[in-house]
Amino acid sequence: MTTAGSVLAPTRAGAGAAGTTTAARPGQGFQHGGWFVAPFLALFSLFVIWPLLRGVYLSLTDANITGTGERFIGLDNYREALDDPLMWDALGHSAYFTLLVVPCIAVLAFLLAMLAHHIERGQWLWRLCFFVPFLLPSTVAGNLWQWLFNPGTGMVNHVFGLDTPWLTDASYAMLALVIETLWWTVGFSFLLYLAALQSIPAHLYEAAKLDGAGAWQRTIHITLPMLRTITGLVIALQILASLQVFDQAVVMMDFGPGPENSTRTFVQYTLEEGFTSYRVGYASAISIIFFVIIAAVALARMWLLRNRTEEAGR
Amino acid sequence: MGRPGLGRRQLLGAAGGLAVAAGFGFAGLGSGADALASTARTRVRYWNLFSGGDGSNMIAMLDAFRAAHPGIAVKDSTLQWGNPFYTKLAMAAAGNRAPDLGVMHIGRVAGFAPGRLLDAWDVDLLATYGLREADYTPALWQRGVIDGKLYALPLDVHVQLCFYRKDVLRKAGLLGADDRIVPITSVDDWFGVLKEARQATKKGLQTIGLWINDQNFQWWFFVAFYTQLGGTWFDDARTEVTFDTDKATQVLAFLRRHVSDGYADPAMGSVNAEQFINGAPFAWEGNWSVPVYSGAELEYGAIPLPPVFGTPATHAESHAFVLPHQSDRGGAADEAAHRLAAYVVTHARQWAAGGHIPAYLPTLSTPAYRRLSPQSEYASAMDHQANEPKVWFAGSTGILAQRVGPVVVSSTVGSARPDAAARRMRDELRTLLAMKNPMDGRTAAQGGTAA
Repeated sequence: MTTAGSVLAPTRAGAGAAGTTTAARPGQGFQHGGWFVAPFLALFSLFVIWPLLRGVYLSLTDANITGTGERFIGLDNYREALDDPLMWDALGHSAYFTLLVVPCIAVLAFLLAMLAHHIERGQWLWRLCFFVPFLLPSTVAGNLWQWLFNPGTGMVNHVFGLDTPWLTDASYAMLALVIETLWWTVGFSFLLYLAALQSIPAHLYEAAKLDGAGAWQRTIHITLPMLRTITGLVIALQILASLQVFDQAVVMMDFGPGPENSTRTFVQYTLEEGFTSYRVGYASAISIIFFVIIAAVALARMWLLRNRTEEAGR
Repeated sequence: MGRPGLGRRQLLGAAGGLAVAAGFGFAGLGSGADALASTARTRVRYWNLFSGGDGSNMIAMLDAFRAAHPGIAVKDSTLQWGNPFYTKLAMAAAGNRAPDLGVMHIGRVAGFAPGRLLDAWDVDLLATYGLREADYTPALWQRGVIDGKLYALPLDVHVQLCFYRKDVLRKAGLLGADDRIVPITSVDDWFGVLKEARQATKKGLQTIGLWINDQNFQWWFFVAFYTQLGGTWFDDARTEVTFDTDKATQVLAFLRRHVSDGYADPAMGSVNAEQFINGAPFAWEGNWSVPVYSGAELEYGAIPLPPVFGTPATHAESHAFVLPHQSDRGGAADEAAHRLAAYVVTHARQWAAGGHIPAYLPTLSTPAYRRLSPQSEYASAMDHQANEPKVWFAGSTGILAQRVGPVVVSSTVGSARPDAAARRMRDELRTLLAMKNPMDGRTAAQGGTAA
């Protein structure tokens, strides 16, 4: 697998070389390539860049939902946000959810992929079972698990002989959300692992077998190292997705913030401030804060990965 | 070869021609319909948030209006209840695409920028359609008045009730000679009744369903009992919080005791109605549950929330007609909106059957309404309303309920102590009082919301 660093390096060198050879015909590079990326750039600008810039501006105003009478108030919204316990709570819930979900998804997806990879008979059935939940819309998955977690009539309590108030008690609600998310989204990471497992050359295992390595040793010394890149990818994607958790939480909690606000996520709080409290300026400010946090996480991951790649290259 | 002499180009040409012709055809139809609406009839666009039983009752009333006023075409749209509705209404009014008539909870009107997002009613015009201030209780009419103008025309009062199963209570000896629940005037009375009722309850059912985990219901119950204790929220100038934490603690401890004494089960979640239908003796619910329980043919009664702290008071909100802001409001559609609202308010007998208490006093005092059961048993709630304070952040599912409701829940389920929860409620009230209304940039103290 190539990393971002190794892809970028030759490209940069190539661009420099191209710059010298195309000096006589300036702009030709854009004429050829530019038109191909223009549709993407136009949409990206319209739906990402422009809203982002507009959001930054709105975060410095006291704009309301109706878009009338907004005034520039400087950094007031940001100052308020830093003192807002509800925002910190919401951030805490999103972070806690991420901490619970990400390792579980990585481990579970790996185990399921190993299972599906090694079982010879009816392999298609396993793949189907593990992947199909991912195809469900979040509302369907959320409603399904709302029924399953129902304390009186739900299957979860019935099967395990429990009496747990899953969705109505603050100490269980987040756990219920995590369980639902694992079931619903593990299929995607499972598929990534399965594809990676299938691409490990068989001769490595054969050589290890000849050297007397057992199944456990082959897993530890061949499979896991060969899957390191895909594990990094799974973890990165899951972190970014989990931090933005929203839909399953609101569906399972009947569009509320969960028992005692225990499952109100950051995205949900932003939505509430913008569309329930009509404070678009403030909602923009906290979404910019969230954007910065997520960007920092993504950059930190890239930086860590680059360091590791450089170490490996040494 | 026997194939029809139609080439590919001809086929495409014919298809294209058909498409163009169809386009013109539909365009013609469209303009014809518009012409019909604009010249032959007055059209009133009306947005409401009524679904379920309320929805079918409203549609029946609209149909009756259409039959009585063939010159007015009512185009009604039912939107999703709660905040999505209010967001759409606000944006439509701000973007000058507002409907001619809308419905809101009266508690939300103060926060909805009256004068900018809402237009005031023409009281004289309403009077010509048979609706006057004298047809309302003064307090209810005044709730719709802001800065001296009427912005909300109440249709009903909906209240939180104590529903009881007569069959279970009869077994427990808790019914009086009139076949109604024995009077309850103190906390001890109430828990005594619960204790007796529990002994007559089938196994596996809770004694009372009171939406323990629901921030809205818990908040509504809190408002009711806090009002029974004579508690206040803010001073008249809206600059000081006068919230009494001792009284609040009393109320929170009272709600909590239902759980700690085992009468209500937090694990039951939102199956209160089902439990009641299955034989649970009590359910605290909104009056909109009347059609559900009557439909299940239960032997039941309903009283306002029991006056356990002495003074009767039960939480009340009100559906009210509003005129979303239009820059060119006036003319035939506006008049028709006035006529429609006045018609529905004065013909709310059908509405009352759905459990709501009609705001229009002549309907409320009719023998026909007085004969409705169990409505007659709780109609007095009209005179003992416990309302949220009249500030921009209050009202059904508003910011106040969102901020304070979860605190009440935390005390009721036992994860926070009542006195600590009461202090947190006071802190939240202070924060909200200092907050600016995003619609007009003014705090509660800076006016705009005072009657």
